[in-house]
Amino acid sequence: MSIIDVEQVEKQFRIPHEKRTTLFEALTGLMRPNHYETFAALKDITFSVEEGEMFGVIGENGSGKSTLLKLLANIMRPTKGTIRVERKVTPFLELGVGFNPDFTAVENIRTYATILGLTRREIEGRTGEILEFAGLERFRDTKLKNFSSGMQVRLAFSTAIQTNPEILLMDEVLAVGDMDFQQKCLDVLNQYRKEGVTIVFVSHDLGSVRRFCDRTLLLRHGEQVALGETNEVIDRYVYGEHGDSSTPIDDEGGDAAPEGQDSSRWGNRKVEITGVGFFDKFGKEATRFNTFDPMTIRIYYEAHERVQNPVFGIAIYSEQGIQIYGTNTELKDIQIEHINGEGHIDLQIDRIPMLSGRFLLTVAVHTHIGERYDWQDKAYAFDVIHTGRDDGLFDIPCSWRR
Amino acid sequence: MRSDHLHELYGYRHLIGTLAWGEFKHRYKNSVLGYLWSLLEPLLLLIVLYVVFSNLMRVQVEYYQLFLLMGIILWNFFARATSMGLNAILGKPSMVQKIYFPREILVFSSGITALLMSIFESLVFIVFMAYFRVPLSPTLVYVPLIIAILFVLAVGVSLALAALNVFFRDVQFIWAVVLQAGFFATPILYPITIFEGLLQEILLLNPLAHILTAARDTIIYATPASSTGLAYAAVVSFVVLGLGYAIFYRFEPRFSEEM
Repeated sequence: MSIIDVEQVEKQFRIPHEKRTTLFEALTGLMRPNHYETFAALKDITFSVEEGEMFGVIGENGSGKSTLLKLLANIMRPTKGTIRVERKVTPFLELGVGFNPDFTAVENIRTYATILGLTRREIEGRTGEILEFAGLERFRDTKLKNFSSGMQVRLAFSTAIQTNPEILLMDEVLAVGDMDFQQKCLDVLNQYRKEGVTIVFVSHDLGSVRRFCDRTLLLRHGEQVALGETNEVIDRYVYGEHGDSSTPIDDEGGDAAPEGQDSSRWGNRKVEITGVGFFDKFGKEATRFNTFDPMTIRIYYEAHERVQNPVFGIAIYSEQGIQIYGTNTELKDIQIEHINGEGHIDLQIDRIPMLSGRFLLTVAVHTHIGERYDWQDKAYAFDVIHTGRDDGLFDIPCSWRR
Repeated sequence: MRSDHLHELYGYRHLIGTLAWGEFKHRYKNSVLGYLWSLLEPLLLLIVLYVVFSNLMRVQVEYYQLFLLMGIILWNFFARATSMGLNAILGKPSMVQKIYFPREILVFSSGITALLMSIFESLVFIVFMAYFRVPLSPTLVYVPLIIAILFVLAVGVSLALAALNVFFRDVQFIWAVVLQAGFFATPILYPITIFEGLLQEILLLNPLAHILTAARDTIIYATPASSTGLAYAAVVSFVVLGLGYAIFYRFEPRFSEEM
């Protein structure tokens, strides 16, 4: 049974050319009409969420995700359309709403929990549990202003999860705290799922969305681009309209260029690379990989004649086209005596060191003196999704010491 | 107002209390002096006004100190409740933009905070009552009713002001001037009887005039409150509450966008 129904919802914001914020301006401005532009933050959104479902909402910044959550939370009203929400909604749009720095931890728990709808008896009974979960038992009577921001967030989250939500709206609140705390948060989220709480989850973290959400809505510039099974929707998001990327992506000119006249493909085609597959740790074909997971790149070829000592090579580029790595069979001291007919060769990567992003792959087969049979420049792509929080392009094995 | 809305408000009653009590504690936090100051403030005002007006006034008023102090405390409540109510929405952006509850809760709770502060101030009045040996009379039973009417009036005005202030930021300055004028137009310093005829009738349109008179009659002078006066004040207060609600709900849907 669906418990959230959103039907043809539209939300417009009015942006006046001249902002009138005082009564004086409003009165003097009565004679002159105030011109304003309307900005549609959401256009024609229709979806419903089933009871117990975890529903993801993804999209770029400014695509209307947060506006949608605010509409669901009844913080804003739609300009057009209807929103029906059957149960009590607990919005986690910001943690620690109503926190007062001059009050102690316990006093703030009491206020915040009341705002979130707990009764007095529930609050009294759970205060200890909240402090323990936050790891702040020793600071129960410390004023909030003496807490670090991390401690405040922990306190807020620990309090928030004590509410008994029926529908939970989450907006990126997991992106705070250290790894240990994040893990706790994910555990709680999972617990809620098991208990059958309906969750609407807005995130940029595609990894979490993929892991948790049953169905996902993709927004772009306020429009509903895709709605459905999470993996498919994320593909739409990541690959745009291109679809699956384990097929060549060199169709950027729109019409598929006839083979052989491709500007990013060279070679005499005595040996032809007929495809590339990426395989994950389960041996399944995939286009998205977690950092530190193993990955196998399989190059399918067809030799139209018997070819001696071919050399297979690859190069990996960042999305900006910076070459990150390149190697070939010769450099790795692999001798391939000859090939004939169809076959494949695997490059086994034990541990993907890239942190996150889209990576382009060039594959090539040539003679050992560099004469090209087939060279497909940046013709394939795969994505790496980071589950940790380090920053940058690459993981560098390291540790802090003092 | 629909009954399901009342039911919803009832569900949030703890929130109203917690917010009001929290704000009250916050105002006096960190200082015993904070409590002391809030007692001193009406006292100092009383001394200044007493010194000036006891000499200026032609009409002799029995227990003029008490008369004046009662007026100051009740007026202070109205002024404080509306000034705090004015900012109840605008002053709490995160509560309006990040979470949902019926917004008037913020106005109600600020009104209750003002009430708590005024009750605290009344300690001074009680001390004065004892000092002047004013006998306690059965007419004190009117007091809760009088306070309730005053509270309804203050909340009604606050609802309208709180909503308007979100959209017109100069409402707070205009209201400060209105309060300033109201202080003299309301019989705080003088009994309404010093005016006669039309002027008195005009001044009596102000429900606060009736509320103050009723409070003084019942508390200081052991006289039952005038039932017509109190009824008039009650009707006006509830009309103001209704209007305040109407204005509030006219603007409420756009609060979070406008802040």
